[in-house]
Amino acid sequence: MNNFMKTKVPYFPAFLAVIFILLCLSPSVADEGKSIDDQTKEISYLLMCPVCQGQSVGESNSNLANDMRDIIRKQLEQGKSKDEILAYFVSSYGESILATPPPKGINWLLWLLPGAGIIIGGIGIALFLFRVQKQEKEENNSVSNAQAADDNEYLKRIEEELKESDS
Amino acid sequence: MKIFNTSGKLIILIIILGLVGLMGYAIFGTHSNVKTSPLIGKQAPDFTLKTFDGKDLALSDLKGKTILLNFWASWCMPCRQEAGALESAWQKYKDEDVIFIGVNVWDESSNAQSYLDQFGSGYTNALDPQEEIQVNYGIGGVPETFFIDSSGSVRDKFTGPLTEQIIDYYVLKAKQPEKNES
Repeated sequence: MNNFMKTKVPYFPAFLAVIFILLCLSPSVADEGKSIDDQTKEISYLLMCPVCQGQSVGESNSNLANDMRDIIRKQLEQGKSKDEILAYFVSSYGESILATPPPKGINWLLWLLPGAGIIIGGIGIALFLFRVQKQEKEENNSVSNAQAADDNEYLKRIEEELKESDS
Repeated sequence: MKIFNTSGKLIILIIILGLVGLMGYAIFGTHSNVKTSPLIGKQAPDFTLKTFDGKDLALSDLKGKTILLNFWASWCMPCRQEAGALESAWQKYKDEDVIFIGVNVWDESSNAQSYLDQFGSGYTNALDPQEEIQVNYGIGGVPETFFIDSSGSVRDKFTGPLTEQIIDYYVLKAKQPEKNES
């Protein structure tokens, strides 16, 4: 187990970082074929309720969230796309209405920093484990050298004592 | 057991502080430029309301007038608090091409009517049968008030109960030609 941790674990954070980046970059699933109800629900979870504490429009029962869900449904029935509907709400409430900040401008930092943190953290952990492993090897080598020196001295003494007893 | 030397620790500390700083800037750094409403400086969203005496009232019919658009509800205590100031200000500006419009939202019409009977608004009060105007204007609560200039552009938004001084400030500002505010 100890050996496994030392040899495999340094790659694990890098693996997690790759998975995270791939998930961030993967295209969203197409909305085609979904019912108006499902699309309304999906879009309502992409919008924050302006009068609620940390709740999306989909989660809130406030009057405003009800109005917003009705408007989403109406606009979907009029044939508007998800992006057009989100743009409409942004034009009224600003980008803070979006549950996920759009990846543009300074917002890129919010998207990239967690990944960068994972990668840097992974490299840090890998470096830490590598150094621990190296140091333990060095310690083991010095212990075995000292042991060998002790053994040699012991054998010499035995040989000397045997010689003395023979003579 | 020494894993990192002093310079290594310093570099790691600088990287961590740098990442935290960038994250903080991304979250809070742009807030100083946030306007109270993204509608400010843009054309006011059009609407057609139904007044409490049954008439249609469209924003497009009011071009050339300065408009105070006040969102209220009968259950809203700050709305009661500002009702007197709105009435007094309307008396002052009604002959100066300034239109006051009260928009009742998230309310029972009977309660709204009782409210109007009690507070005796002389200016037009209406509601949106489609219940969309509150979202079109990005309302997050009541009272909220928009000041629209004679060209139909949203000049300001005020959140909370109005006083006569606040109304004077924003109405006079909306009546002046728009300056390029950066």
